[in-house]
Amino acid sequence: MSGYWAGILTILAINVIMAYAIFLPVATGQLNLGGAGFQAVGAYGAAFLSSKYGLSVWLTIPFAMALTALVSFLIAFPLLRTKGVYLVLATFAFAEVVGGAILNSTMLGGPMGLSVPAFVEYQVPVVSALVVTVFIFYLMATRFGLVMRAAHDDDVVTDLMGVNVLGIRVAAFAIGGALAGLAGALYAHSFSFVEIQGFNASLSIYVLLYVLLGGTQTAWGPLAGAIFFTMLPEALRVALPALKGWMGLAMGIQGARTAPDESWRFVILGVLTVLMMMFRSEGLITRVMVEKLRFRRRTVPLVNVDAHA
Amino acid sequence: MMLFLQQVSNGIMLGSVYVTVAVAFTLTIGVLNFLNFTIPTLFMLAGMLAWALSAWGVPFVHAGPMPWQAALLFAIGVTVVASLFVERFTFRFLKTRYGDATEHAIPLVSSLGFLLIIENLIRIGYGTDTQRFPGPQADLSVNIGGIFLRVPQLISLVIVLGIVAGLNWVLRHSRIGRGLRAIAENPDAANILGVEANKLVPIVFMLTGLLCGLAGVLFAINYGEVSPQMGDDIGSKAIAGMVLGGLGSIWGAVIGGLAIGLTEMLTIHFFGADTVQVAVWGLLLLTLFLRPQGLFGHHSIGKGKL
Amino acid sequence: MTAQTPLLSLRNVSKRFGGLAVISDVSFDVPAGTRMALIGPNGAGKTTIFNLVSGFYQPDAGDIVMEGHAIQTVASRRRIGLGIARSFQNIRLMPHLSVTENIMLGQQARAGGVVEMLKPLSLFGRSHWRDEAETLLNDMGLHTYPGEVVANLPYGIRKKIEVVRALVARPKLLLLDEPAAGLNAAETDNLTAFLERISDTGVTLLVVEHDMGLVRRLCDHVVVLNFGRKIYDGPTASVQNDPLVLEAYLGPRDTAPSLANAEGCHAA
Repeated sequence: MSGYWAGILTILAINVIMAYAIFLPVATGQLNLGGAGFQAVGAYGAAFLSSKYGLSVWLTIPFAMALTALVSFLIAFPLLRTKGVYLVLATFAFAEVVGGAILNSTMLGGPMGLSVPAFVEYQVPVVSALVVTVFIFYLMATRFGLVMRAAHDDDVVTDLMGVNVLGIRVAAFAIGGALAGLAGALYAHSFSFVEIQGFNASLSIYVLLYVLLGGTQTAWGPLAGAIFFTMLPEALRVALPALKGWMGLAMGIQGARTAPDESWRFVILGVLTVLMMMFRSEGLITRVMVEKLRFRRRTVPLVNVDAHA
Repeated sequence: MMLFLQQVSNGIMLGSVYVTVAVAFTLTIGVLNFLNFTIPTLFMLAGMLAWALSAWGVPFVHAGPMPWQAALLFAIGVTVVASLFVERFTFRFLKTRYGDATEHAIPLVSSLGFLLIIENLIRIGYGTDTQRFPGPQADLSVNIGGIFLRVPQLISLVIVLGIVAGLNWVLRHSRIGRGLRAIAENPDAANILGVEANKLVPIVFMLTGLLCGLAGVLFAINYGEVSPQMGDDIGSKAIAGMVLGGLGSIWGAVIGGLAIGLTEMLTIHFFGADTVQVAVWGLLLLTLFLRPQGLFGHHSIGKGKL
Repeated sequence: MTAQTPLLSLRNVSKRFGGLAVISDVSFDVPAGTRMALIGPNGAGKTTIFNLVSGFYQPDAGDIVMEGHAIQTVASRRRIGLGIARSFQNIRLMPHLSVTENIMLGQQARAGGVVEMLKPLSLFGRSHWRDEAETLLNDMGLHTYPGEVVANLPYGIRKKIEVVRALVARPKLLLLDEPAAGLNAAETDNLTAFLERISDTGVTLLVVEHDMGLVRRLCDHVVVLNFGRKIYDGPTASVQNDPLVLEAYLGPRDTAPSLANAEGCHAA
């Protein structure tokens, strides 16, 4: 496999894991706009152990996951008592605090970043992503998954059904955090360098958006969102040069330094987000859609019993 | 001591930029229960357009650069239009069909979409560099008791406070204001009582555009620099100011914005520039945990329409 | 607990919201196995009683006693474990869950424990929970199609599904809040027969209802509330002759309707 495609697969794998990390809290009804902060904890955790103590990835990655899980668990309690827009703001604030703390930490390299000696080939992130995907599909098929989705729809009734809603939400948040930590650690070991500037608000925003785009009712949604977002630049590579020439000519600009090509990808993500929220706010892949595509279940058509009376 | 006071006054001047944006945020969330993430982007749009117009002139019309005064007004106008455009495609589509936990956030998510669209279109169009805005020569200062205050900043502060006071008056004493407050308290009752949300809601967005446009333009004049990234930093601080002052409270946003500016300056003074991020966001996080309604806000705002 | 101890007992329960006394000193017993109706004009406090019993609110005074134990301080999520299940006036099913999944949510109280939480309900082979849910749905005359709840199903069916969700928790006491609201005569008959079958299995029913036909057919005992106070507690047969009840629904007897007495008029 060429180095180029290995790189794409690595990024895809990391994006899938991050998607599931954000998916878990969102599926229970908590919008997490601080994904970058959790990923940073994992990335720096792994990077630090690797660069300072020379530990192997078999140690750094589990450690990073455990660390991020712990941090998520601890922060979840005060965080999940806030509701609605306050929760969104609090997750965002948390990510900024993490970013700011790392920026100031000489031990972690501050603004200069940390280089990461231990390197992993693309197979490691890809296998991890597969494991995580299977795990999430499994989780959503259990009572835990059922109760998560119920809490999203109506937390009052879910509580009356005997569920500890806060407990479920904290658990979803903590597991999500662990996954974000995994994504961060894999990033650190795949790109050999971490800098806090990369774990910024933009990252949190676009992860949340492509998860919402894919759909948060089933485990298929985040997968679809991550694949779409990762592959979009490839599709754009064809269309881009023509667009750039036209824009420059039309605006009458000369000499300004052109934006990174990434920008078009975000414009498209933004446009799709706006459209999706307008017409299909549950996301692309919904429960109903998955149900309709499943033929194996024995289906007895609904009989309107009242009509016979 | 003098240096300290100078820093305090600098903090207040800086805070006045945050105030305008914070008021836009708090107005939208107070009346519409909508955290509009496009607001910092509109701020940036105004600043960048003011520069672009004064450097290149109107796009597609190769007529040459505009004088900076006209550029400012044009930029504000375009920002207001952009804000109305955002309203058409975000807030209009809030559907409370199911009453579940994430429904209230539909416009919030759309506004994130618009944030990406506008910010990246600007980057594509004008690059990512910071640009100098020609503006008036911003070196005029007055010396009051040993503290230097730059005249443009002073004027900005006065303008901002005037606008906010005016806005407050409108909300309290005019028919439009009463309608807006009715919508804020109880949209359904307001609807039944004949308050036409479809006419009043765009007014909120127009005011938002105006405030952000003004803030962006004042920023360009005062600091002489604009960039596509300028919204990020200001936006964060404005949100922090809004939360501190209490969601939905205009004077809260004023005090909160000024307080954040002050905190920022003093943190830089005592601890160095790098600690600002932790200080401001840490303060915000604590406020959200311990007293989410801030100084003057209501308990019920922001929890999603129940 | 002796044979005489009622299943549920409210003793001098009061609840205020701000300045308004919504429930004032209400006491009544619900013996095990009975079918009891809780009726009264709008605003009388019936749903508040349900909210107090299911734990959504705490009473300001008085006791709520279930099988001899005071439960008013028990957390709402533990009450289903005590045997109390309910349905809602405006149907509260989960819109994004399938019919079967909604029912399986009702099983949650019986399925506690971490191990049970982590067993798959559908991936490989069948799960006994899913089988139980589908069997119950079939038994109750609801042959289901595991699709979206809110969008596709008729109102009457959804009402029944909500009752089945409460049933699958195997409650001792079933609180039904206006189960017949919005149903036509045929659907109401159907529902009444449905509820009779449920009661025959031993479940105690406490029903808030405006439809007196259903109350007369289904319930042998009635408690009437008016402005948060109990004004009648006796057999269904004599409730419509009771002067206080008549006054509550129709207004005071000898005074002509006038603006001064307007508050005494309620729709029956």
